[in-house]
Amino acid sequence: MRHPASIPRRAAVFVALLVLAWTAWDTGADPVRLARGVPWIADFLRRMLPPDLEVLPATIVGAVKTVEIALLGTAVAAVLALPLGFVSARNVAPAALYHPARTVLNVFRSVDTLVYALIFVAAVGLGAFPGVLAVVAYTTTSLAKLYSEAIEGIEPGPVDAITATGATRLQVLRYGVLPQVLPLFLSYVLYRLETNIRAATVLGFVGAGGIGFYLQTYLRMIDYRAASTALLVTVVMVMLVDGISSRVRARLV
Amino acid sequence: MIEVAGLRVVFPPAVTAVDGVDLVVRSGEFVVILGRSGSGKTTFLRALNRLVEPTAGRVRVAGRAVTGAGGSELRAARRQIGMIFQQFNLVRRASVLDNVLAGRLGYVPSWPSVVGRFPENDRAIARECLDRVGLGHLADRRADTLSGGEQQRVAIARALAQAPAVVLADEPTASLDPALTADIMGALKAINARGLTLMVSQHQLETALAYATRIVGFRRGRVAFDGPPAAVTPAVADAIYGERG
Repeated sequence: MRHPASIPRRAAVFVALLVLAWTAWDTGADPVRLARGVPWIADFLRRMLPPDLEVLPATIVGAVKTVEIALLGTAVAAVLALPLGFVSARNVAPAALYHPARTVLNVFRSVDTLVYALIFVAAVGLGAFPGVLAVVAYTTTSLAKLYSEAIEGIEPGPVDAITATGATRLQVLRYGVLPQVLPLFLSYVLYRLETNIRAATVLGFVGAGGIGFYLQTYLRMIDYRAASTALLVTVVMVMLVDGISSRVRARLV
Repeated sequence: MIEVAGLRVVFPPAVTAVDGVDLVVRSGEFVVILGRSGSGKTTFLRALNRLVEPTAGRVRVAGRAVTGAGGSELRAARRQIGMIFQQFNLVRRASVLDNVLAGRLGYVPSWPSVVGRFPENDRAIARECLDRVGLGHLADRRADTLSGGEQQRVAIARALAQAPAVVLADEPTASLDPALTADIMGALKAINARGLTLMVSQHQLETALAYATRIVGFRRGRVAFDGPPAAVTPAVADAIYGERG
């Protein structure tokens, strides 16, 4: 049976295919070129082996710094995002606060951690500290957005009940809203910690500290065996943090 | 004790839920509000402590103006109006005692309470109220581990912790089975016997007649009947519930 919407739908599919075809042409996407590059990739991989274990201690130091950047940045952001999350929630914030707060969130969230890192390296110089600042800048607004959505999803009943006792607005937030959203908040923070570890691995590329600095240095020096050690350490670090964090998250909800 | 004059609640765009209600309730009465679902019972009760903002009219409870009251005046008025809900509305993840303690929020200093500190006297009141509903032994349990009947009794304890002059109950037994209905209505009757004024909405006629000292029938947002249970004849029941009119 012909659906009444089938003609506009076909037109939409046609337009989508057209757009994709154009992007393939404009980006120079070429399977033949990829095929010709395969031997080079193989050569690259061959030169990475075996990993150079002499740089293992140095890369582990870098990895630990990356974890520190993500941990401190996420922790600070988790706290800073609290007031921002509440003023960005439609059901608890006055309209006068809600709309500007939403706009601020959307603007800051559209910039990635790496871009913040470039800005903060320029502002405070090289090292792990601008990395921490970059993680804070991005994570605060992205967590605030998640917080506000959790707040908008609460049951209104307990809020009514606390309001009816004659509680102040602040007490209603503390006793009617917070107990409902706190486990969700913690789980979002851990999830952000996991993604921030990954994001922090490349912060070193722009001079903001951690394992990325080592990886980029080895690649520049064409020391592929050392670079592969840095990559392996990165993989192990990410898997470790993911494993611990997802186990804690499973116990929260 | 409760004085309502010309109360109207209109929800945007133009749904009139409560349409000009005048009602005076004296101290110690057990008023049951009868009516079909959609007759305006819930909105009326929620307008009495301004969980729903009235469109027009005046409400006074225990000598305090509810309508027209600003921030702290409104909170002082709400403090003396306990409220019990159909869905209990406990904070599920909090302990039973913490839920009852929430009834003291209108009395305790705001900032200490935000970090979880309550004066020892208020804690003692909360424990006493929990004992009064027979659940003192469950104080440390998480609220959502209790049965429906137990949760509603915790909600009653929370209302009592407010040391209220009046308790409003919105269909307090609609989520419970018949045996628990008697249990909860009995608990409310016991509160009433100690001098508290009660206003309870019900859609079950038999339950209403068994406990009320006064019946107020709602129909389409207006008072269709007001009198003692003995005066509720089949004709009156028909005027409240009937399809006609």
